Amino acid sequence: MNQSICLLGLNHRTAPVEVRERYALPNVDPKDQGLISVESGVKEAMILSTCNRVELVTVGREDKDTVREILRFWANCCGGDVHELQDHTYTHRNLDAVTHLFSVASSLDSMVLGEPQILGQLKQAYRNSVKQGASGVILNRLLHKSFSVAKRVRTETKVASNAVSISFAAVELAKRIFGDLANQTAMLVGAGEMAELAATHLLSAGVKRMLIANRTHARGCELASRIQGEAVLFAELFERMAEADIVISSTGATQTVIQRRDVQSIMKRRRNRPMFFIDIAVPRDIDPDVNNLDNIYLYDIDDLKEVVEENLSQRKTEAAKAMVIVQEETEKFACWLRSLGLKPTILDLLAGGERIARKELKKTLRRLGPKADDPDVSQALETLVLSLAHKLYHQPLDFLKRRAQEEDAGTRYIDVTRRMFNLDNELPTPDAHPDRRKPKPSED
Amino acid sequence: MNLTETLELAVLALYFLGAVLHILAVLIRGPLLRSGGQFATLLGFGLHTVDVGLYMARYGSEALGHGPFYFSLMAWTLIIVSLVLNWRLRMHFLALTSLPLALIVYSFATTLPSMEVILPESFMGLWFGLHIGTLFLSICLLAMAASAGAVYLFLENKIKGKTKITGLSKDLPSLSLFDQVNAWAVNLGFPLFTVGLLSGFLWAHFTWERFFSWDPKEVAAIIVWLLFAFLFHQRLVNGWRGRKPAKLAIWIFALSLISMLGINFFLETHHSFQP
Repeated sequence: MNQSICLLGLNHRTAPVEVRERYALPNVDPKDQGLISVESGVKEAMILSTCNRVELVTVGREDKDTVREILRFWANCCGGDVHELQDHTYTHRNLDAVTHLFSVASSLDSMVLGEPQILGQLKQAYRNSVKQGASGVILNRLLHKSFSVAKRVRTETKVASNAVSISFAAVELAKRIFGDLANQTAMLVGAGEMAELAATHLLSAGVKRMLIANRTHARGCELASRIQGEAVLFAELFERMAEADIVISSTGATQTVIQRRDVQSIMKRRRNRPMFFIDIAVPRDIDPDVNNLDNIYLYDIDDLKEVVEENLSQRKTEAAKAMVIVQEETEKFACWLRSLGLKPTILDLLAGGERIARKELKKTLRRLGPKADDPDVSQALETLVLSLAHKLYHQPLDFLKRRAQEEDAGTRYIDVTRRMFNLDNELPTPDAHPDRRKPKPSED
Repeated sequence: MNLTETLELAVLALYFLGAVLHILAVLIRGPLLRSGGQFATLLGFGLHTVDVGLYMARYGSEALGHGPFYFSLMAWTLIIVSLVLNWRLRMHFLALTSLPLALIVYSFATTLPSMEVILPESFMGLWFGLHIGTLFLSICLLAMAASAGAVYLFLENKIKGKTKITGLSKDLPSLSLFDQVNAWAVNLGFPLFTVGLLSGFLWAHFTWERFFSWDPKEVAAIIVWLLFAFLFHQRLVNGWRGRKPAKLAIWIFALSLISMLGINFFLETHHSFQP
């Protein structure tokens, strides 16, 4: 393989957030800004820049120090220091880079294992690379393969199933209690960021009506307008709570806001229709004793965290299965790369054969003299020498193609072939074949 | 082997196949297996309907007094109730209860020695329609409510206790759907049971010239009716939901089973199945 894939990056594991922020590469064009050039040896490039990772994937000449070139380019783009950057980056080459990229696409390398956002971000990064004219044969193939590997991982393993965020866990539980959420009413008590996030998830899960009760009514109204809910006065909290099937509480109160007796009277008015309370406040807003009432389900932040942690551990088990798929797909990609390395060898070999054939044809035609003036004769001779050259190479090429499908053998045989036929026009080293040299006469 | 025996064997085999396929579908989460189970059930139910029809054609109103036919009809009702509930509430898991139960009840029908309850000809139609039909329907609805209640209690325990919901529990429908089965069983089942009971007393009045004779079956039926009435009242008037009606439905169904199998087989009663 005389084309080398190189992946240089930093992520949430190797760099703190301030470093990730400083070395982010949004809207950087590797072609316009000089990463792709003859000097750097880089022929194809793609930049993935998200809040948790920045990665540069390049395809370039093997003999160049691509890593140094990328580091320099990267530090220049961000006005940073190469050494500092180097301390936080990791490098993967060739098949390691392929494996890493497949893992990233499948969300096996994400902070939240199995989160789906990374695939969309990777697709966007690839679209940018195509738009910038920075992708080529290898990168195109590699990225398309990444997307299909991610899809395979998602369908064949449960690495992306089970909620791994507090809000998602709450929504899942709500579905377990009520089934379809389309006819349910939810109520936010307090309009904090966490509550808003949970509300957003509930709305996307189908909840049609959202009530917002906040001590500062104006803030409640503001949030209500943002999520198309209905702001209610905090003074009317318990009166209106009877309408809610799902209650998300996140006030900053130091004492519990919702007591058992409040819920009991609400349940009478609701004729025991079930209620799901999600208490995401610290300290807690809802008296834990509420959970002992019939048809009431109360989950606080710790309960939800426990659900999330259990789901995460389940995802880790699934990740092992996913890695097997990634390895399988890396093997397939390696096969393709090997075939790709074979193509230029075949072309060089045939071109060399044709060159020799034409050279010999020229000599023969010269020797034939006037007889060679007949175009039929020269044409017949040309056809003869060219087809002879092709036929002579047929068996070795067939052998090469078959070897190219084998692990390591492909690269090894291509290397041997290139040296055997001197396809790279290399001069023999001075110490080559000492056994064939004639011994120098002694000076005695 | 005559046509009746062949039909009975085919129905038993198909109900058995349906039950096995439904259980397997739950265990290995195979939608195709469930479809296969549903197909076997429907085919079995079709043949069962033919079997019931042929029996009726052969014996006319006399059939209604035959013990084996009584059980065959019970199994048939159980399947139809389960199919209707499945169609209305999309609760495939009900088949896990109705099919094995129908299989057991139907095997009684095929193995019991034939015994007859002598009935006055003039009341055959009325007795069958009002007494047997309504009671069978309400008991079958109770069976569904009891199985839904058992699963409700199991799932609710997990949600309330905040324990991990894994494996088969993950495939279960929501709590509200289980409660809906209970609501169906109570709202439909109680009026039917009441009609069944009243028609029974009426029939007793015409036959023995007394409404109530302290027959064990009658006493058990009254107890079941009182509990059923309490459940109906609590659901309708006091808005009972969830745990309490689920538990009570299980108790009422258990009592109905004891009444039907224990009393009918082992005690001296008008409803005796002893040959």
